[in-house]
Amino acid sequence: MTASLAPPLFRRAPQQLGTALLNGNVCRLIFRSLWPLVLFCVAAVSFAVAAPQQPDENAAAQIIDTAIDQQNATAGITAAPQADPDTLLRRTTLDLAGRIPTSKERDWYLQLPPETRQQQLVDRLMQLPDFDFHLRNSLDELLLPERPNDGEFREYLLTAVQERRPWSRMFREMLLAAPAEGPDKGATQFVRSRVRELDDLTNDTAVLFFGVNISCAKCHDHPLVADWKQDHYYGMQAFFHRTFTSKKNLIMEKPFGGVKFRTTAGVDRDAALMFLNGAVTADATPAYTDEEKKSAEEQIRKLEREDDATAVPVSFSPRQALIDVALADQQQQYLARNIVNRTWARLLGTGIVDPPDQMHSGNPASHPELLRALGEDLVSHDYDLRRLIRSIVLSRTYARASSLAAEAQLPAAQTFAVAMARPLTPRQFASSLLIAARSADTWPTVEYTAAKPEEWRQKRTDLENQANGWMREFEQPSRDFQVAVDEALFFSNNDQVQNDLLRDGTDRLVGVLKSAETPQLAARQLWSVVCSREPTESETQAVIDWFARSPERRVSDVQALVWAVLAGAEFRFNH
Amino acid sequence: MSNRRLIPVPSDQLLPSSVSRRGFLGGSAIGVGGALAADMHAVNGLRAEEIAGELRRGEKHVILLWLAGGASQLETWDPKPGVKTGGPFAAIPTNVAGIQVSELLPKLAQRMQLTAVIRSLNTKIADHGRGADLVERGRLDDPGLRYPDLGAVVAKELGRLESTVPDYVSLYTSTEGRRKGTSGFLGARYAPLFLAENMAPPNSALHEKLTASEHQDRAALRDLLSKRFTAEHRGSTVGSLNSAYQRVQGMMASAGLFNVEQEPAEVRARYGPTQFGEQCLIARRLVEAGVPFVKVARAWWDSHGQNFETHLELCADLDHCMSVLLDDLQERGLLEKTLVITLGEFGRTPGINASLGRDHFASAWSCSLSGMGIRGGVVHGATDAEGHTVVDGEASAADLFATILQAVGIDHTHEYMVGSRPTPLADFGSKPIRSVLV
Repeated sequence: MTASLAPPLFRRAPQQLGTALLNGNVCRLIFRSLWPLVLFCVAAVSFAVAAPQQPDENAAAQIIDTAIDQQNATAGITAAPQADPDTLLRRTTLDLAGRIPTSKERDWYLQLPPETRQQQLVDRLMQLPDFDFHLRNSLDELLLPERPNDGEFREYLLTAVQERRPWSRMFREMLLAAPAEGPDKGATQFVRSRVRELDDLTNDTAVLFFGVNISCAKCHDHPLVADWKQDHYYGMQAFFHRTFTSKKNLIMEKPFGGVKFRTTAGVDRDAALMFLNGAVTADATPAYTDEEKKSAEEQIRKLEREDDATAVPVSFSPRQALIDVALADQQQQYLARNIVNRTWARLLGTGIVDPPDQMHSGNPASHPELLRALGEDLVSHDYDLRRLIRSIVLSRTYARASSLAAEAQLPAAQTFAVAMARPLTPRQFASSLLIAARSADTWPTVEYTAAKPEEWRQKRTDLENQANGWMREFEQPSRDFQVAVDEALFFSNNDQVQNDLLRDGTDRLVGVLKSAETPQLAARQLWSVVCSREPTESETQAVIDWFARSPERRVSDVQALVWAVLAGAEFRFNH
Repeated sequence: MSNRRLIPVPSDQLLPSSVSRRGFLGGSAIGVGGALAADMHAVNGLRAEEIAGELRRGEKHVILLWLAGGASQLETWDPKPGVKTGGPFAAIPTNVAGIQVSELLPKLAQRMQLTAVIRSLNTKIADHGRGADLVERGRLDDPGLRYPDLGAVVAKELGRLESTVPDYVSLYTSTEGRRKGTSGFLGARYAPLFLAENMAPPNSALHEKLTASEHQDRAALRDLLSKRFTAEHRGSTVGSLNSAYQRVQGMMASAGLFNVEQEPAEVRARYGPTQFGEQCLIARRLVEAGVPFVKVARAWWDSHGQNFETHLELCADLDHCMSVLLDDLQERGLLEKTLVITLGEFGRTPGINASLGRDHFASAWSCSLSGMGIRGGVVHGATDAEGHTVVDGEASAADLFATILQAVGIDHTHEYMVGSRPTPLADFGSKPIRSVLV
């Protein structure tokens, strides 16, 4: 092992001092025994030296590390060292490309200079179509979790992501749900899929776009959270109350009408159009005579029943009002902070506010100033999700090791002092399985991909489509996720696993390992393709022992070996 | 706070030797209100009675005979002969003095000492989908919160985490609406094993290209190669993957439980050759092997037309199969550990429509509870002379849910923490029907 395998450090000037200190074998020794202390000193040195001017793109990463390190230093918590390069390659690729790296990508990555490796990796991955697919999938999983294969919605999200639309614009398009042609047609699905249940539309919007679950405040003021009153619940509901679908399946609004509710004190009240920050939008609905109302209501009934009924003119749109008031919310920035927190939770395993739908004074952020700063950074950069994601994956906080010695005490998740092992999403898992089960030669080199981007786009699209079939076997991870026995039974006995993933063919890993010259070589190929790293000594020994079961190398033994690693714990997680 | 539980309880939280893990994982030192408090419960260790409760897991069972489509209370547990809503069938005395049931249930009438009847359900919702949602979950979903159904709650509360048998099995007939059941916020771990025509659980048979020993060796190799990662990445999710693989062999072995041909011919003859009979027999086999919850759905009771012919046929099947099931459970000493429920999404209107049918009716209908925790030979509640309304002992879906949980020794007031929201097992304000409980 050489100095290049020392943990990479990504901060510029202050870190170079630390890197210099930590080079060489001394470093390894120190890291084995005293790394917490050393890191603390490095952090202290970093703070002591005034940070020089950073290029803007890395400034937010710097903000992240400063906030996390400062709080841990104050609390006397020692953070884990930076993850080794292989782990970081796999983690970053899963998070940005939605799949494991191919072994050719690993070859490319390992020859990069350590100082710029992560940045080059991130730059490359964010240019691939993989990034758009994966960001689209992540947003899809967030916004339409019960309908994982809604083609129109997924097409809309992909287009929006490819065109780098700001999150604020996507929010507006999805809530406005205006009729559109082409890929934008799918933007209506967020509202459409919930329009029959006003409570779902109200609460899901609050939860998914603003990080606030106000459902408890439907029947009574929230018992635990002073922020949420019935006024807020019904205030949010008032923005959606006029929404309906026509027979032609268009999302429409009635020209008038409001929400009435009964308080726990038994008083009947008209709900104001109240946003979560308490801002009330004046209802600019013009006065209608009883006759006008009657005729409009008749027209609405027609719209609900007949294909060719004409739309009712609407002069005030409560949903548009919600969009306006949410985007004008400079103080609490619910829209921005929610997507910051959810992106953070997706990339680090736990939100700065946790659970992510409990953004309120009773459940403060672990790092409120960081959440505020990232929210402001997002708003001031036109709600650019790519910038946000890039900032997080370039931070040292993101790059920490996830493994922990058996005797070490595990710091609380919200210290972000140790990386978390996150279960792969069904799509990540399926795409990764399809890569891992094939021979390394199936995939192009990085240089080839760069030269022929369209070929790679086609290959990646095929992979995405194939993953659609496999992902149904796996469950979308939730909070405190537990893997179901069904998954283990599927892997253990399903015909597809045996006859597709483990097929004995030249394009399959099984076929390659069958003819590997030595068990040692087979072990190297297996671990580099499946786990994106070299095997440990004991893993190599396990392969030698396994193949020693029979003098000729039987296909069934190779299949069993590949299966054991594919079904193993390491492969199942992003760690 | 002491009666709160986390969702889901990871395997390392259930035994006192390793309870300390969870607190460091889930809770933050920085301002997490409810969640931290709930974590502290685990950190402090489990109380003695909970440990004892853990040891009893796998020994209590529920069999739900689901009368899909909605059976008529008037042709089963609440007959009204001689009034204009009563229909053509008589009421017959049972072996418990003072209790009468429909003449369509003669065998169950002779086993009344095992059964409590509730005649006063008012569940209000009379459409199949939402009615079933309500009755199965004891409440309707809230925005953003999907509740688990009875089977999932029982599976979670009574199942063993490392169980080698499934903990929630749902058997259906092909003509039924195929409601799969839902584990709601409890997640896939407690989702039912759902079987319709095919009585073999999916992916439970050994692949033709593998021998049993190859299969086991391969699993052992997986365990060996996963050891390092698991040791270095503590946490209940990583642990749950290995637990899932450890259950595979047992689940495969238990596939035989679904094969009635393994039963002696005389036992099969007793249950009869009907699908419902065979599924009741499978339910008994599953319960005997330690499965906490089995649902057997019998369709299709939705008799908008020809109500009386429909019930003549379906009640005969129910009467026979349920009687045999109760006898069989009792003879094997299982009835004192097994609660048998007959229930549907609602009952049927007292009024008889022009097609000689009865329509959906959720305001005054009946169900029965037999076996574990139940005071047999009891009738709770009453409807008026023609059966239009409940006049005594009105019970809601939530009350019934609470009653069922209490019967098998589960405290219905226990709370799960869903995120930071305390959620009791049975809905807020539900009251168990004490008169039917031992």
